[in-house]
Amino acid sequence: MKYMSTVNGREYVIQIDEAGQITVDGEAYAVDFEVLSEGGILSLLINNHSLEAIVEERDDHWEVLIHGELYSVSVQDERAYRLAKARGATTLVTGEVSIKSPMPGTIISVVVEPGQEVSKGDKIVILESMKMENELRAPRDGVVKAINVKAGANVEKDQILAVIGDGELVS
Amino acid sequence: MSAHQLHIKKFDKLLIANRGEIAMRVLRACHELGIKTVAIYSEVDRNAPHVRFADEAYAIGSAPARDSYLVIERIVDVALRSGAQAIHPGYGFLAERADFAQACYDAGLVFVGPSPRAIRIMGDKQQARQTVRRAGVPVVPGTEADLSDDQLRQAAEEIGFPVLVKAAAGGGGKGMRPVHNPAELPDALAGARREAEAAFGDGTVYLEKMIGEARHIEIQVMADSHGNVVHLGERECSLQRRHQKLIEEAPSFVVDEEMRQRMGQVAISAAEAVDYVNAGTIEFMVDRDKNFYFLEMNTRVQVEHPVTELVTGVDIVQEQLRVARGRRLRYGQQDVRMRGWAIECRINAEDPYNNYLPSTGTITTVRLPTGPGVRVDTGVYPGYEVTPHYDPLISKLICYGETRAEAVLRMRRALEEYRIMGVKTTIPFHQHMMDSHRFLSGQFDTKFVEERFRMSDRAALENVEAAILATLVAHRQGQRASQIVAPGERDTSNWKWLSRWERLQR
Repeated sequence: MKYMSTVNGREYVIQIDEAGQITVDGEAYAVDFEVLSEGGILSLLINNHSLEAIVEERDDHWEVLIHGELYSVSVQDERAYRLAKARGATTLVTGEVSIKSPMPGTIISVVVEPGQEVSKGDKIVILESMKMENELRAPRDGVVKAINVKAGANVEKDQILAVIGDGELVS
Repeated sequence: MSAHQLHIKKFDKLLIANRGEIAMRVLRACHELGIKTVAIYSEVDRNAPHVRFADEAYAIGSAPARDSYLVIERIVDVALRSGAQAIHPGYGFLAERADFAQACYDAGLVFVGPSPRAIRIMGDKQQARQTVRRAGVPVVPGTEADLSDDQLRQAAEEIGFPVLVKAAAGGGGKGMRPVHNPAELPDALAGARREAEAAFGDGTVYLEKMIGEARHIEIQVMADSHGNVVHLGERECSLQRRHQKLIEEAPSFVVDEEMRQRMGQVAISAAEAVDYVNAGTIEFMVDRDKNFYFLEMNTRVQVEHPVTELVTGVDIVQEQLRVARGRRLRYGQQDVRMRGWAIECRINAEDPYNNYLPSTGTITTVRLPTGPGVRVDTGVYPGYEVTPHYDPLISKLICYGETRAEAVLRMRRALEEYRIMGVKTTIPFHQHMMDSHRFLSGQFDTKFVEERFRMSDRAALENVEAAILATLVAHRQGQRASQIVAPGERDTSNWKWLSRWERLQR
């Protein structure tokens, strides 16, 4: 499995294979990992460097306590990572942008109408995929230029669902 | 109406009118002395350790302190109903309320503390200042309130610049103006009066000498009801933020034995001026030339009392109980010796990386540091919710060493061992401080934390380790979810199975 894990703004690509071998950004790490009690203490040996830590899950991230310092870590597998990108968790965007379906699925609802002004982060479309509802959000402030789908529609990966553009008059 | 008003009688059952770590501290002293204990609790404290450790516990109201821990009649009523003959107020809440001490006496209960009169006098800043000054205690040079501008100008010259214009009705820094030379005085007086008038409806101001680079050093005193008063040396409490102490230590870096005895004698005089009985603390401001001035007296056990306990070997809370039972102090001044060094770090539920913003939430995991020279006084537990109802103190971590350096090394080690999850804490602040050159060399004053101390950026040393750990746990959780049912038997998504599985594990 491949994960994108972010700590303090630094992203690591961490791969864990079936045998439990780990690479971080392509570099192999000899990791031995023991859970001492559920939700409690973890023992980690990284290249025989010993570390005791506590890891607990929060709503959308993990909290890791090492040597008195609390780290907030977001862990995304590839699917979640693509979704997050599609949701507009990217940097500043200008110009006309399309909201594409990050994966095959079914449109649950279209939250906005053509001509509507939206702010960055507003919900545009809700897509169900892999039995999960995913909110696709506006990547920038602007006006909804086009809505190409209706509730109930089945969509393919990378299909353009909506377009957000500059705030000129919309006929 | 002083000493004779103290009910001195034997008691074998005591009510603790407090919660949290100080309730635990008093409970422990009672257990050691064979005194039966009665706890009180608000509805959110039902699971608190002070309830579990006490012999009896009584609900006294809802979470806000004014509906529970501050309701005098209800607390006195519980004491009488439960057959307790004494009340220990701890610190905070009702500890320095003369009317509470009076209500205890009126109900025939022993109040573990001084007389209502001593509490009343020391609780009034002007009255306290006048009382101790008559007893020969140095106070910050200043004027009376209500002088004319001409008189103030003349007084300022006599005191010597810089001076501070202060509002008589003051508090919270309002109506306060520093004045560095005579030319600045008229504007400062006018400005301070305007501000005081707006804030307190009283524009009366007075002058006080401005003490630069001041340290906050306090003396612990202990007095019995037979007229014996001793001091237990000093505590250095200069590391503060917004007048809240963060780190305390004993002894102080700047106090030598000669100064200790001088300060101690002055503190004893201040206590004697109000016929003080029980444990008390006289706070002093100390300038860079080591002149010290009376600030105020706290008529209760202090949060930071453990550092004194560690260096003197005196159990202050046990001593409070003995004195309240009418016993004589078991030692004279010559028996009190300070040995070694103790440091206390207050662990608060605040985010030191985000301007000490209060951090509320539920504490999920607690593992305390232990080992040689480490003491933790705490009242929180997994499942404890940090709410705005009570103070943000999670615990006091106290370390002892033969020398200051050894105490600091112990503290670093203990901070690293401390495991607490669910809220942000000031542990990283203390770790930074234990590495600060200014702290290590003892060069700090009461403005140091606010004006010259900076947290460095969040430690980036163990980012990779943190990422690996979180990813491994997330991976393991995902793997387990897919193993619960064989493929094909599954009638819903992995994610739903996962949460179902987690519920089964609880």
